[in-house]
Amino acid sequence: MEILSVRNIVKTFDKVRAVDGVSFSVHRGTITGLLGRNGAGKTTTIRMITGIFYPDSGSIDWAGDGVTDFRDRVGYLPEERGLYKQMNVIELLLFLAEIKGVRGGEVKKRIDRWMERFELTDKKQAKVEELSKGNQQKVQLIGTLLHEPELIILDEPQSGLDPVNMVLVRELLIDLRNEGKTILLSTHMMAEAEMMADHIILIDRGRVVLDGRLDEVRRAEGNNTVKIEFDGNGEFLRSLRGVEAANVKSNAAELDLAAGEDPQSVLEAAIGKLRVRHFSVGAPSLEQIFIKRVGTETLPEVA
Amino acid sequence: MSKMLAVLKREYLAGVRKKMFIIMTIGFPIFMGAVFYVPVMMMSRGLGEKHVVVIDGTGSLRSGFEKSESSKIGDERAPMQIEYIDAKAQLDIDTFARPYLARLNKEKKEKLDAVLIIPSKVLDLPDTPARFYSTSATDIITEATLRAMATKGLHVYRLGLHGIEGAEMEKILAPANVKAVQLSRTGEEKQGGGSNFLVGILLTGLLMVPSFVYGIEIMRGIIQEKNDRVVEVIVSSMTARQFLTGKILGNALTGLTQVAVWVVMASLATGYFAAGAALGGENILRFLRPSTFAYFILFFLLAYFTYVCIYAIAGAVCNSEKEAQQMIAPITMLMMSPWFFVAVLITNPDSSLAVGFSLAPVFGPMTMFLRTLVADPPLWHIVLTVLVSIATITLFFRVTAKIFRVGILSYGKRPTIPELVRWLKVA
Repeated sequence: MEILSVRNIVKTFDKVRAVDGVSFSVHRGTITGLLGRNGAGKTTTIRMITGIFYPDSGSIDWAGDGVTDFRDRVGYLPEERGLYKQMNVIELLLFLAEIKGVRGGEVKKRIDRWMERFELTDKKQAKVEELSKGNQQKVQLIGTLLHEPELIILDEPQSGLDPVNMVLVRELLIDLRNEGKTILLSTHMMAEAEMMADHIILIDRGRVVLDGRLDEVRRAEGNNTVKIEFDGNGEFLRSLRGVEAANVKSNAAELDLAAGEDPQSVLEAAIGKLRVRHFSVGAPSLEQIFIKRVGTETLPEVA
Repeated sequence: MSKMLAVLKREYLAGVRKKMFIIMTIGFPIFMGAVFYVPVMMMSRGLGEKHVVVIDGTGSLRSGFEKSESSKIGDERAPMQIEYIDAKAQLDIDTFARPYLARLNKEKKEKLDAVLIIPSKVLDLPDTPARFYSTSATDIITEATLRAMATKGLHVYRLGLHGIEGAEMEKILAPANVKAVQLSRTGEEKQGGGSNFLVGILLTGLLMVPSFVYGIEIMRGIIQEKNDRVVEVIVSSMTARQFLTGKILGNALTGLTQVAVWVVMASLATGYFAAGAALGGENILRFLRPSTFAYFILFFLLAYFTYVCIYAIAGAVCNSEKEAQQMIAPITMLMMSPWFFVAVLITNPDSSLAVGFSLAPVFGPMTMFLRTLVADPPLWHIVLTVLVSIATITLFFRVTAKIFRVGILSYGKRPTIPELVRWLKVA
């Protein structure tokens, strides 16, 4: 069931069309990954959904009950984190709840619960500026959730987090989804998106280039991708016959083979030059799909 | 509404907890008090007293330079220590005066501030000029005082030639005693005079300074929020107008709190000084009417809201405090322009300059407050000022909210004027 419907939105800065006719739907109770390179238009799209920018044209509708002002139903974690550094944590959280229209004892209980979950209970009276960067991010994430929003929009929620906190956030988002919340997640970490998202929307140069359920998207991309892990220099794998797209790293590679091409020939070529530790054939990873669709060069910044 | 109140509450609490607030609250009245009372103290304690030598070639004008009840030449008399030298016996008064003139440029103890040379011919030829020497070209008060004293000496001498002496002479020379009274339209009387001038400057300063201080605070706050990226969360939760309203009202409340503390402090101080005779011979309460307090609050708020909108725009379009201050400096000078005319406005509160300033947008609140303080402007002038101010504030607020909406999220370079105009259209 749709919770949010974005129809053909356009946003132009000076002469650059940052978002150029984007349409998609967000379905209730899912995690939707909004993917794209830096500068692809993800943040601008999110800022239009959260009412920070008005689209030049197009519409953004809350599905179901026809509300136009759905600010309080959305929890938003911006990409550029921002907190009042001089305030103490508890006052700041109460303020963030209040500007979403909730206050009183219930909010305080929620704050206690969240602080406990994020192991911040002893930091309640601390000034925000005294917290570590990771803890500041946690505080901001709590602030995003205090009014129990139906739709949670997170712009790069894991950027700048250490691996432990990345797992913490990932598990939290999956828990929230399992509780029935809807999450729209912008990220450029494909591996994370792959672990969490039910649905993906790939944006490039202000346009949607891919939109669908993650499993369907992967299936549609074919079943002839070789994943190989090795010791040695794997650069030559790029130029093997039948390789259509290659993502070669220092000790692993992902190779899309042309239809009808036999993965066995890749294995044979590899064994001659590398020490192979793992070899498998299957659907491509999200990262591989991403690279195939949008390339690897970086985009100029517009907003 | 409740969102706006949340912002208001946050701004207010953040405001009154700042060190700046405490420093301003306690420090500013002390500073203004010093400005007000130090000159008075200097007069009574002889600080800044001038050391003057009078070389009298006639030898007959001594009485003019001596202290006596009747020799008081009026309020503007400069404090000075006069050394009178009878130079009747000197053939060449200029040669005699030379060592004294040399002392004008000496240091410390030997230093003279002024020398007055009166040639002997003055008695017979009244047109003969006496010469006043001073190291500063602007020492007009000393000059005027000495001239009045010399004149008095001449009068005493001439009357003496006619055989008039003693009490009769005192009677003839007694100056007219003029007492300044300010009469209001309602017939109410209030003491006029020089001290009104100081009280006017003091109160107008108290009215203006918080507007600029809190204007800058708002500007800095907005830039901080931009740099800390807090705005994004806020603007996704409420309209820019709600946010701006909360911010401005919160800071206004901070300013009012400060003013309230000042009023309490001033009342206590005045009560204290009034109990033990007036300080420096002046009692502030004589210059204040109850309506002054009402006008103060009214015009404080009008001035505050007018200026603050402009600072909010500066904060919204700039990315750093430095940039914002460069932009706001000339605008501040412009907004403060009545202040540069404050002496003229206070002494001519009903002049067309004063009326013009007081009915103009932006300058109105401050100038009109000054007028209500030292004069009695017609009610319709006051009402017109209030209406013009409210219209100005409404317009400014709308423009500010629009520019604010776009500006707070623009992190790039500062917009040009045409860009600002475009922002006004799109927002």
